[in-house]
Amino acid sequence: MSYKIAIGSSDGMNVDLKFGEVSKFLIYEVDEEIKLLEERIVSEEKTSSQCGDRKGCGGSGNGCDGQGNACGGPEDVISRVSIISDCRSVVCKKIGFQAQKQFEKKAISVFDVECSVAEALEKISFYFGKIDNHESLRKM
Amino acid sequence: MAKLLDKQRYKCALGAMQTVQAIDRALPILHSGPGCAQKLSESIGSSGYFSPNIFPCTSINEKDVVFGGVKKLDSTIENALKVIDADLYVVLTGCIPEIVGDDSGEVVSRFEDAPKPVLYAPTAGFKGNNYKGHEQVVDSIIEQYLKKSDKKQKGLVNIWADVPYQDLFWLGNLRELEKLISELGLIPNTIFGYKRGIENINKIPDAEFNLLVSPWVGLSNVKKMERKFGTPYLHYKTLPIGATETSRFLREVGKFAGVDEAKVEYVIKEHEDYYYYLIERYADLFLENRVINKQFTVVSDAHYALGITKFLANDLGLVPAKQFVVDDTPKNVRESIKEEFKKLNYGLEAEVSFETDGFKIHSEIRQHDYHGYPLVLGGYYEKEVTEELKGNFLNIAYPVQDKVVFDNSYVGYTGGIRLIEDIYTVAVSRFN
Repeated sequence: MSYKIAIGSSDGMNVDLKFGEVSKFLIYEVDEEIKLLEERIVSEEKTSSQCGDRKGCGGSGNGCDGQGNACGGPEDVISRVSIISDCRSVVCKKIGFQAQKQFEKKAISVFDVECSVAEALEKISFYFGKIDNHESLRKM
Repeated sequence: MAKLLDKQRYKCALGAMQTVQAIDRALPILHSGPGCAQKLSESIGSSGYFSPNIFPCTSINEKDVVFGGVKKLDSTIENALKVIDADLYVVLTGCIPEIVGDDSGEVVSRFEDAPKPVLYAPTAGFKGNNYKGHEQVVDSIIEQYLKKSDKKQKGLVNIWADVPYQDLFWLGNLRELEKLISELGLIPNTIFGYKRGIENINKIPDAEFNLLVSPWVGLSNVKKMERKFGTPYLHYKTLPIGATETSRFLREVGKFAGVDEAKVEYVIKEHEDYYYYLIERYADLFLENRVINKQFTVVSDAHYALGITKFLANDLGLVPAKQFVVDDTPKNVRESIKEEFKKLNYGLEAEVSFETDGFKIHSEIRQHDYHGYPLVLGGYYEKEVTEELKGNFLNIAYPVQDKVVFDNSYVGYTGGIRLIEDIYTVAVSRFN
């Protein structure tokens, strides 16, 4: 059965974006083979309007919004999560605690790793392939 | 088809974290999932300077399964060295990192130049139970930490016996063995418990010989020490409980160590005189034949099953029914342990079964004709079945739930008396 993996990458080669930085997720589909299915744009409005008088963690002005490029508060996390909620897994350089919890609720596997896109796809598809077929992950 | 184990009486090899913990100021570092230490720990005297709740752990999760957990292990060891003041760090691996192929040994070897020794013991659950894990930890100390010594100390004896915490009496037992050995004029060296620790570990290669008191656990360790340090070993299979076995034990150790025979006999006489004085005072109780049961069964690891069977048959004159060894004894040593059960006084022989399935053990106990009420010494699991048969029950082996043991012991002459006290306390309370 095929499934999708969302990856945060600026160049399509390396997993180099934090979850909050991603402006478009690369969506790969894993079936017999792995192919790039589409790019999913995170809507402009949601990424640009972050800093300011939002409620939640950014409310006081020095929360996670303070960095300028991090998440845009709880609503932003939820909307970002919902964009890729049909994926089985999400891969970014860093993924915040709030987002991880949201993905966990949807049973989406979170991998915050720094490696090449190819390596991430290979390892994750190997892992899912094994557990889907009830095989041991033992490599020996 | 996978088999279910009814009433497990041991833990996975990672349970060897308790072996590490028993070494004063030694700290286990766990490369395992979160919760392993929690599940393996019990409130059996395992708090203190270090306790399972603060053992550094990589808490590996799905990400580490997919991408490997070696980075996390590296940083966990590095930071443990920084923030926790210990003398010895032992990295133990759980099943997950070993299945997915983390090269933990390589990571640990990066810490060779660390100010404190960092060792590595592969203790994945699929490699065996915590008896095996215990051997693995001792093995890592011998292999990775100790070096061959040129200066042998005359009379120094390393004593290896119980698996700490798995056997609740480990501390008392080791101390009692030490006491007996020192009465022969030898110098005992053990590494577990209060004020032993790294200094005693350092003395291991200097010893004149290793004394292993156990049917099988630790045999591979003393063999390894023979190869690496040239230290000969004496393998005494039976835990000495009571006068008959303890005197035999002292004679054998004395002979092996070249202690003057008259001295050994003097020590034995002193102890036996007092021992039999006590027995004599209660002879009326022993002779009152409705007090104690005619036949008994021990359900425990080989260590206690053998020790107690010999004690009850030789010292108390009870008749052994079937005995059950529940520690998943390796197949290659079973025959020799079986033979030991046949070496009882009065021409008695005990039948023994190596069985880990609690259901089968209980069925056999139910079916056996004990010629009256049975006496069952075993884990807490046997309480219910013994009560059902209106027998007398004493909880002496894992899991121990109805008693608190600080440093009590069943070893030696005093240990024998303690065991008689405990058994007869149960037996006489039936008539109150």
